[in-house]
Amino acid sequence: MPVVTMTVNGEARSAEVEGRTLLVEFLRNHLGLTGTHVGCDTTQCGCCTVHVNGVAIKSCTALAVALDGAAVTTIEGLAQNGKLHPMQEAFREHHALQCGFCTPGMIMSAIDMVRRNGHALDERTVRKQLEGNICRCTGYHNIVTAVQAGAAAMKGQ
Amino acid sequence: MSHAASGEGIGQPIRRREDMRLITGKGQFSDDMNLPGQTYAVFLRAPHAHARIGAIDTAAALKMPGVLAVLTGKDLLADGLKPIPHTPLLAHPAEIIPENTDGTPVFTAPHYPLATDKVRFVGEAVAIVVATSIAAAKDGAEAIAIDYEPLPAVTDTVAAAAPDAPQLWDQHSNVALDARLGDAAATAAAFKRAAHVVKFKTWVQRITGVPMEPRAALSEYDPQTKRYMLHAGSGGAVRLKNDLATVLGVPSDDVRVLMYDVGGNFGTRGMIYPEFAAVAWAARRVGKPVKWLCERHEAFLCDYQGRDLAVEAELALDRDGTFLAMRGSNIGNAGAHTTNFSPLQKGVEIASSIYRMPAADFRARAVLSNTAPTRPYRSAGRPEVMYVMERLIDLACRDFGFDRVEIRRRNLIAPSELPYTNPFGMTYDSGHYREVMDRALKEGDWDGFPARRAEARARGKYRGIAVANYVDTATGQPRERTDITIRRDGVIDVVIGTVSNGQGHETTFAQCINEWFAVPVDKVNIITHDTDIVKVGGGTHSGRGMRLASYVMKIASDEIVEKGKRIAAHLLQAKPAEIDFTDGHFRVTGSNRSVGLFEVAAAALDQSDLPGELRGPLTATCDKVVKEAAFPYGAHVCEVEIDPVMGNVEIVKYTTVDDVGRAVNPMIIHGQTHGGIAQGVGQALLEHCAYNAADGQLMSGSFMDYAMPRADDFPFFDTFISEVPMPSHPLGIRPAGEGGTCPALAVTVNAIVDALADLGVRHVEMPATPERIWRAINGKKDVSIAKAEG
Repeated sequence: MPVVTMTVNGEARSAEVEGRTLLVEFLRNHLGLTGTHVGCDTTQCGCCTVHVNGVAIKSCTALAVALDGAAVTTIEGLAQNGKLHPMQEAFREHHALQCGFCTPGMIMSAIDMVRRNGHALDERTVRKQLEGNICRCTGYHNIVTAVQAGAAAMKGQ
Repeated sequence: MSHAASGEGIGQPIRRREDMRLITGKGQFSDDMNLPGQTYAVFLRAPHAHARIGAIDTAAALKMPGVLAVLTGKDLLADGLKPIPHTPLLAHPAEIIPENTDGTPVFTAPHYPLATDKVRFVGEAVAIVVATSIAAAKDGAEAIAIDYEPLPAVTDTVAAAAPDAPQLWDQHSNVALDARLGDAAATAAAFKRAAHVVKFKTWVQRITGVPMEPRAALSEYDPQTKRYMLHAGSGGAVRLKNDLATVLGVPSDDVRVLMYDVGGNFGTRGMIYPEFAAVAWAARRVGKPVKWLCERHEAFLCDYQGRDLAVEAELALDRDGTFLAMRGSNIGNAGAHTTNFSPLQKGVEIASSIYRMPAADFRARAVLSNTAPTRPYRSAGRPEVMYVMERLIDLACRDFGFDRVEIRRRNLIAPSELPYTNPFGMTYDSGHYREVMDRALKEGDWDGFPARRAEARARGKYRGIAVANYVDTATGQPRERTDITIRRDGVIDVVIGTVSNGQGHETTFAQCINEWFAVPVDKVNIITHDTDIVKVGGGTHSGRGMRLASYVMKIASDEIVEKGKRIAAHLLQAKPAEIDFTDGHFRVTGSNRSVGLFEVAAAALDQSDLPGELRGPLTATCDKVVKEAAFPYGAHVCEVEIDPVMGNVEIVKYTTVDDVGRAVNPMIIHGQTHGGIAQGVGQALLEHCAYNAADGQLMSGSFMDYAMPRADDFPFFDTFISEVPMPSHPLGIRPAGEGGTCPALAVTVNAIVDALADLGVRHVEMPATPERIWRAINGKKDVSIAKAEG
């Protein structure tokens, strides 16, 4: 079986995996990083969103072997030195989560939205660009608020 | 620290304690759990909607690499497993129990974890394969050969109730319950003298709950202790334990259920699933831990689904628009098993909503069909009947010229008439219905609407507005228990039989404890996750979480204070009657002598000079059956804008006023309302579990086919809280979880029809998709409506 090596949350991690192993399986089952969730089997719900080389992808639709050598950031790697990422802080402050299952993917998507669009996100942009992340609990109201607030707070980073 | 100073008590919008782990990836959901040496289960599911099961050949499957076991319904019967113990009707003391008009018992059928004789819906589990990996188990499942004898199937609600419909169970017709509620004679008389009668026929389509965390189970059997452990998220740990023990045929103490974070419920996760029992049984059979993860396509096939009510209703009015009576027929589609008829029950008993209705006469039928079993989904039964009532009112206004607000004001029950017993026998206890509706109209700027409509029309868009009222009878499991212990180390343990599925109990329950004991919220342990600790409790459903938890926590807390006063009296050399308890301290009235709560707890453990009954842990238990129902109510105003060319609906403004009696954490309550609205609007505009009528195949089996609400389907909501205390609750609390959904179907569809009224559109069935709206505008026959209207 091939050995895959990635820099995950700043650390070099390796594991022997089957060729068909998905990135999300590599993270959850081989590395024990269970903060990245699997909510569907058709790449729609966005619960499994992580950053690969700084860009958000759905880790349920990428093969681990294809990402050998990549730098991956998961929800576990966002907080630095015990300090929450501004987007994490915004989700907490604005009650943007209830059951919390979609939350890691939402936060990873939101951060990438800021990378793509800058810090002044209008409501319409946020709503349109959350198309790939499904939440069943919140009606998205507080998620949209949190993404806008988190985007603004990331400015000083 | 006083609770006032901490700002964490009842009424404070404090941030949630559970969030820190959930936003950092440290939540513990069911699929995050693993055990050494675990194996993996996959279920082989029925490809037919209705078929007799012939020979099952498992030989090839058992030879596949890594396959450890293949178990079928035959094995299950041989091992003496029992059917899932369903109680389809709610027996809560405040509930009205429908009975068959012919006096026969309500039909219940045995529901085994694996099909034994026939498969009755596509996706029903037929065999469980256990292997060393999921992939190996899937390969094994593919190698099983089953001889099916396909039978005619029926999925449609009205068709399933017909006498000549394909019959699911040999021992009974598809109509499991056929009841009649109300007063037929009085209703007939009222209709005879009515100036106006309006009729409405509809189908409240089937949808599914879709909690974002798919179900998962991890089970282990210990042959030494003969105990089963099941780790699986559910709406209640204790009920799952008891039901699992029943199916396995073992004493309930031989089962331990664990659950930590649960990724949504909405009723979907409210009871045991066949797979949970099969996984536990398989763990014993293979002698290793067994793990199962439900894939999303399986969830669409076999999660318990919701709604699915076929309705024919009529409303009789006098010349002034005063309601005289209503009558009709509700048929609830129970699916393939007699799992749960409470949506039918809880709907029909409040079909007249909070309007004065002198008489009513309704037939209520529960029918079986070749579809996934149904059970309560977000406010079971109530959104359906609120939709019918509010549609009847708006249709009456349109046909007979009444004003939509004035007719509601005229017929809303006034505070002076409460308690009010509706024509089905349900008694509403309290509420300021008209005041709440008027507030919603004001916040939703009802009066300013004509200008907005004109402005939209100038842009070629059609705007509509509607208001809808609701009442939500909350009952559920009436018994709840708590054990509260004051620990010497400054921590309070609260053991309770509810489970948070996202409602934030660790925060809100702790806020109650903070209010009474002035202990920081972070020093309160809410313990719900382990049935070896939590012995009694009804779980989280039917607006019972905070309502019953606060009820029993308050009684137990008061008992602790009383006990603490007696201990403090000893310590402070005073009489118990001279001791006050404020801000976490016991004080001798009129002096500066005091002792803290935790010092008292330590003294009770340490001091041998205390009377015997005061020695030991400072603890109290409340185990109570709460017999009263709760009645949250409120009003929503929805404003939509429709593109008449494409048929797209945009919700431009959505305003709610929900009476929650007393808001423990307003931030969380607003969040509950937001989510509830989205689930209701999702039904009105998007969602539908679609079965192919010809062969019973599910056509909405993935997120590509089932239209989930997305962020761009909504605006920001304007949600307001009303607090008229509920008299039967010690803190005045009404449930807050279902109000968002209850009137959302009604208000959304009424707004759409209002928008299109000038185009001659009288009704649009749910989901009101762009295609349906386009067809309604363009006068094309809507095949779906035609079907619903028979």
